Amino acid sequence: MNYGMTDDQTSILGGLDQLIASQAIPAPTEPRFFYYGAELERAVAEAGYLDIAREEGFGALEAALITERLARLTCVIEVAASSIIAPALAIPPGMRPIALALGDAGKPARFLPQARVLLVDRGTNVLLIEVDPNNVEPIDTLMAYPYGRLRSLEHLRQRVIDDATTFRRRWRVALAAEAAGCMAAGLAQVVEHVKARQAFGRPLGAFQAIQHRLAMAAETVESARWLALRAAWSDSDADAAMAAGFAQSRIAQITYDLHQFCGAMGLTLEFPLHLWTYRLRSLAGELGGASMQARSAAIATWGSA
Amino acid sequence: MEFGWAQDERTHRERVRAVLKGMLPPDWETIALHGPGSREQTIFSKTLCARLAQEHLLIPNWPKEFGGDDETVWRQFIMAEELWAIGEPRGPQYMNINWVGPVIMRFGTRPQIDKYLAPIRAGQAIWCQGFSEPSAGSDLAALRTRAVPVVGGYRVTGTKVWTSYAGLADTCFLLARIPSVNDSSQNKAAIVILLVDMRSPGIQVKPIPSLIGDGDIHEVFFDDVFVPAEERLGAEGQAWEIIQFLLQHERIGIPRYEFSRRILDRAVAKLKAIDRWSDPIVQERAGRALMLCEAARMLVYRIVDDKARGLAPDSFGSLARWSIVQADNGVNDFLTEFLPEGLLGDDPLQQAHHQRAISVGVASGAAEIQLNLAAQRWLELPREPRRS
Repeated sequence: MNYGMTDDQTSILGGLDQLIASQAIPAPTEPRFFYYGAELERAVAEAGYLDIAREEGFGALEAALITERLARLTCVIEVAASSIIAPALAIPPGMRPIALALGDAGKPARFLPQARVLLVDRGTNVLLIEVDPNNVEPIDTLMAYPYGRLRSLEHLRQRVIDDATTFRRRWRVALAAEAAGCMAAGLAQVVEHVKARQAFGRPLGAFQAIQHRLAMAAETVESARWLALRAAWSDSDADAAMAAGFAQSRIAQITYDLHQFCGAMGLTLEFPLHLWTYRLRSLAGELGGASMQARSAAIATWGSA
Repeated sequence: MEFGWAQDERTHRERVRAVLKGMLPPDWETIALHGPGSREQTIFSKTLCARLAQEHLLIPNWPKEFGGDDETVWRQFIMAEELWAIGEPRGPQYMNINWVGPVIMRFGTRPQIDKYLAPIRAGQAIWCQGFSEPSAGSDLAALRTRAVPVVGGYRVTGTKVWTSYAGLADTCFLLARIPSVNDSSQNKAAIVILLVDMRSPGIQVKPIPSLIGDGDIHEVFFDDVFVPAEERLGAEGQAWEIIQFLLQHERIGIPRYEFSRRILDRAVAKLKAIDRWSDPIVQERAGRALMLCEAARMLVYRIVDDKARGLAPDSFGSLARWSIVQADNGVNDFLTEFLPEGLLGDDPLQQAHHQRAISVGVASGAAEIQLNLAAQRWLELPREPRRS
């Protein structure tokens, strides 16, 4: 047991931070539901971060560390599926961005407007669909991800991947790592707000009612993060379901509290909180949501009968 | 970053499990029902701890110079997990090993070390913690029990309350206040620590009937009790430093989530036996309780890992404490809903778990104080202004 990062992990994240610092991250200067960081995504991909799990001596843990770190940014890029899921399914490195869907290829999917690949969990197997950009209809949503759906399910270039169990397990790890990063960034944003905003002659953050709920949010952030990293390290079905389920189970409370403490400001697009909380709300319903993850964790731990 | 156990740690855990299995009597679950401070558990703890001492499993974490084995932090913690998994059969003696001994090693005089560590090492010492008072609980610095200096020692007068294990304790780790010029209720420098023989004239112990087991909480009255000066721990004015050291040891060493996790495992086995496990609602709710236990485990491990790597303690413990409160209550809620008969006489160990779970947010200081600390030290939020 050792919670400290290895020298290699420290070096990877240090390099990633430098790369982020060198990029012009889209600043939330205009009211938008999300900012897609196309340039950053290209730079991160070119530097090899999205293929870290394919490197000798590295794996899903390093990919999860990268995912969690990038999820803290104001802009959104597709990193989790490419870095955590694709290597486990032997999807070639260049086939990305990747969108994910459960059950039905015609459902709205995150990142589909940018995606080259759509992976569809069909229960017993996974459908890999090569996405024709002309066949994607973007969808306007409140969510802080780009969403789209396939216009037609006819004449798709597709193949079947048999290992649905690995796909679902890695999807859960990816979801957990991304949620952990969004939670951490959202909390940091609100902590700064309640330190600065004065009411009744003192900072909002000096009121115990607010302190307690933000402390609870901090416990959620840390639990989500460590459960996600453990799941990435162990690559076990039970750990993955626990990590995703825990994060999803806390999304309603943490998003409510974070917005609540920003008052009406937190309901505007001008204030960037929604850039993380509306990623979280999007993640809350993936893969059947917290209840399905909880049940899967129980079955993976104790069996179904 | 590594979340697994080394081979020697796995072997250690297996050995600890085997040893404990061989030491627990068939009626352990019934003994556990009486609570860690009960006469039954206290008597049993002396048998068990003596045998643990023979196996080098009582104080392995202590330094060799004090009779321990300089055990690594993680091996020591594995031992603690296995003890909590079965309901902490060391009863009141867990705190001797976790903090009473280490505090005396650090701050005690040579005669105090010789006098107090030997019975702890032998598994025969019962201590109680004279901290809380009717008007000083989480706000410990407000304590009023007075220790008036007299020739050769102190005369102690006051009342302690919620004192665990006091009924059968040999010694009380007592906090009291020396009357001083600066006699404000918050004057921490006026607090003194006295190691008080519980057989001293003037001490009266009154058990408080409670929901959390027999003999667990008491009122202790000190009426002009003489305590020799050589029983003062540390210097006058040093008590708050000692208390901070003590609290670090007290709060780190308790993997309560492991008891909840094992009780949950056991509950699932029971639900399978009565054909209820195939119900998706039961599975989902068990999964949610499981997630809480594992979240608590990850946060507690984070603190233990810091200690193992020699890092300075930080305020993360407050977050971990809150997660433990969630885990214990999550499992308790699951059991109460899906195995209610366990609280109706069917399952003594489930009842013992229930009794620990309902006190988890209160024991060792209110959980809300931990939220205050997490907000102010982890998130660095401004303190709430004190009322004048």
